[in-house]
Amino acid sequence: MIELDTLSVTFAAGSALRDISLKIAPGDRLGIVGESGSGKSLLASCLMGMAPDAATLSGTLTIDGVDMSDADEETWRPLRARRVAMIFQEPMSALNPLRRVGDTVAEPLRLHFGLSRDEAAKRVAELFAEVDLPNPERRARMFPHELSGGQRQRVLIALALACDPALLIADEPTTALDANVALQVTDLLVDLSEKRGMALVLISHDLASVARSTERVAVMYGGDIVERGGTDDVLHAPQHPYTQGLLAARPDPQAALRDEQGKRKRLPTIPGNVPPLSGLAQGCRFAGRCALERPDCATARPVPHGPRMLLCPVVEGAA
Amino acid sequence: MTLLRAEGLTRHYPLPRTRVLGPRPRLTAIEDASFTISAGETLGVVGESGSGKSTLARLVMAFEKPDAGSVAFDGKDLHSLSRPDLRRLRPEFQMIFQDPYGSLDPRRRVGWSLGEPLRAMGTDEGRKIADSLVQVGLHAEDATKFPHEFSGGQRQRIAIARAIITRPQLLVADEAVSALDVSVRAQILNLLMDLQEELGLAMLFISHDMAVVAALCDTLMVLKSGNVLEQGNAAAILNAPQHEYTQSLLTAAGTP
Amino acid sequence: MTRLPANFLLGAVLVSLMVGLAALSLVWTPHDPTALDIRNKFADPSMTNWLGTDKLGRDVVSQLMLGARNSMTVALVAVLMGGSIGVVLGLLAAGIGGWVEDLVMRLADLSFAFPALLFAIMLAAVFGPSLSNAVFAIAFINIPIFARVTRASANQIWTRDYVMAARAAGMGTFAISRDHILPNIAAAIIVQATIEFAVAILAEAALSYLGLGAQPPAASWGRMLSEAQTLMYLAPELAIYPGLCIVAAVLGFGLLGDGLRDITDPRLVRER
Repeated sequence: MIELDTLSVTFAAGSALRDISLKIAPGDRLGIVGESGSGKSLLASCLMGMAPDAATLSGTLTIDGVDMSDADEETWRPLRARRVAMIFQEPMSALNPLRRVGDTVAEPLRLHFGLSRDEAAKRVAELFAEVDLPNPERRARMFPHELSGGQRQRVLIALALACDPALLIADEPTTALDANVALQVTDLLVDLSEKRGMALVLISHDLASVARSTERVAVMYGGDIVERGGTDDVLHAPQHPYTQGLLAARPDPQAALRDEQGKRKRLPTIPGNVPPLSGLAQGCRFAGRCALERPDCATARPVPHGPRMLLCPVVEGAA
Repeated sequence: MTLLRAEGLTRHYPLPRTRVLGPRPRLTAIEDASFTISAGETLGVVGESGSGKSTLARLVMAFEKPDAGSVAFDGKDLHSLSRPDLRRLRPEFQMIFQDPYGSLDPRRRVGWSLGEPLRAMGTDEGRKIADSLVQVGLHAEDATKFPHEFSGGQRQRIAIARAIITRPQLLVADEAVSALDVSVRAQILNLLMDLQEELGLAMLFISHDMAVVAALCDTLMVLKSGNVLEQGNAAAILNAPQHEYTQSLLTAAGTP
Repeated sequence: MTRLPANFLLGAVLVSLMVGLAALSLVWTPHDPTALDIRNKFADPSMTNWLGTDKLGRDVVSQLMLGARNSMTVALVAVLMGGSIGVVLGLLAAGIGGWVEDLVMRLADLSFAFPALLFAIMLAAVFGPSLSNAVFAIAFINIPIFARVTRASANQIWTRDYVMAARAAGMGTFAISRDHILPNIAAAIIVQATIEFAVAILAEAALSYLGLGAQPPAASWGRMLSEAQTLMYLAPELAIYPGLCIVAAVLGFGLLGDGLRDITDPRLVRER
């Protein structure tokens, strides 16, 4: 349905996405994991045709067999909402504080499907029920500030579903929410994807929520996809040194806290910081922070290999 | 040795009236919280937004006064001290904040911000600024740079350097690692452990993330809508939570 | 570097023109602006008198230049005086809070209800009309305006974490206001000052027009306007020149202030 082939995005300061290749089929659930600066949000905006003006794109992006790489705003507009919809991190700022949330969700229904006021209101109530908002008719008459953070995110999901998209991109949808609510929202997204046969791309820095909700995962670092494969495989047996470091750096609440001398156990860390765009290595972007680094890693461009896609010349790939 | 003793801390905030003549409704931010922190020990406070954990931090830092209860630091009741006495005591308890982008004055060089607590104490800056930068894993030369020249993790290191520059006995950390990336978060948590062992710091560590609290804390207090659900030894609570809510927080923090 | 907004550029050009004229008048004017030459009254523009002469034969260009200097000085002194008092009051209100804040803000409300012209007339009635009384009156109306802007912006900064950190460090209200609050609200105050500069120029012209400001023979746009009023049918251009100057100066500072606001508005500037 959506296919990226060696998509690259370059800014004046450096290259922000390098040779990204991805396929998203109907009903797929793909997680994109990375830290700030990994390019994961930029990738999402490319999928929506909303890359910043300052960016130079190369490679191809195909949606439903149509090459959208050079498509202009006019070509994109009908695709957005109806084919590809998106929800964002901060549910408060994405809603107009002066409009009742029901009216906000009704707007695209009336615009795209020409529904009457009553028909739209009925459809809004159905959508609100679908995203598990209790008492949908009453919620529809409320203003954003009257809802909790989780409810606002549900409203935005309903808005994204209004035009029955084939793909929903969720960019850090639960980061601003409390842990319990975040779980519920993540579960809701999975549920909707299964019931509707809608593909889901979940972008997150939170490994736990990606593990819970996706079938495949792509781990990004410095504008590269460094490892891609089945979610269980990648998160339980990570192969790329970065994925391994990232997983190890998560504290485990059940693990022993102190060593034999009674000193508190330190967490395994990845040394250094994510370099700025202009400071990324020509070769492997993880060079300089990697424990397995060889002399030529920083200069030689790694080639993706293995049944599980792996971008590391040092590690042998495995499923 | 007990360094900090809070007893029956309660704080309400007035809400707007719902009816013209009715009584003014109140929001209970925190209700009857009591706890102690010993020297060199870490108390973790876990709760979600609206649980009252930030109010707790402000009360302990004596930024605001409780409606009931008291906070005694080193035997002195913080909220009944005179303003000059409180200011003299402040170098002993310092704070680090959640947002590494907001906790440093964007118009001031790092060295200036680091020197602020020293100037407030009236002590000589000497080599202390350079020393504390090195101590948190940065370089002495970084003192001449501005905050925007650093990444989020580096800024949080600077904020920690500022908090420890007066050699405090207590450090209050309000969601100090929540805004950081996973790999950076581990670095900062390790740094806090190092500093704690080096300096014998006591910590009040506030977070919504059970996993983070587990890595760092000796005792634990679970808050929900202003009420203390359970408190006690951290390992005991983590292994056998008494409350369903605590269990759900643990599930949410679970390993992938 | 992003493109500067058009209002800022146009404002900057007009303001530099006016400030340039005023500065030039300190060292040079084509003629002595107060020198009378009755034989040469109502002269048409010529090589010697570029915009002609008035009813007493004084050179119009020289008078306009002196008027510019007069306007700028009055506005500068008045805005500086009223502004600094207002900023200090606003910082106090935000820093101390409680009843101090309430008192300052209620006083500001009260003085807003009191028209500046009325205040100037009152001053003139008690102390006699003079330019300094006009300056005091204009300065006075600026106090509550600056107090409000300062307090509103300062209250925002007071909630920032770096201010909390300074409090945790043991810094007092005064030191925090000086080190953190003032530098971080300076942009908002400068914008306000520029806009109030325009208002002050207009107020000075109005007061001088009413005879409550600059006294003869001192040159002022407002006074030139009122002298020309009686001769509107005989020599309309004598009213048009100072009028145009007032418009240009007020418009210039107004646009400059708007432009500065556009440039510094945090809602338009993306931080981080």
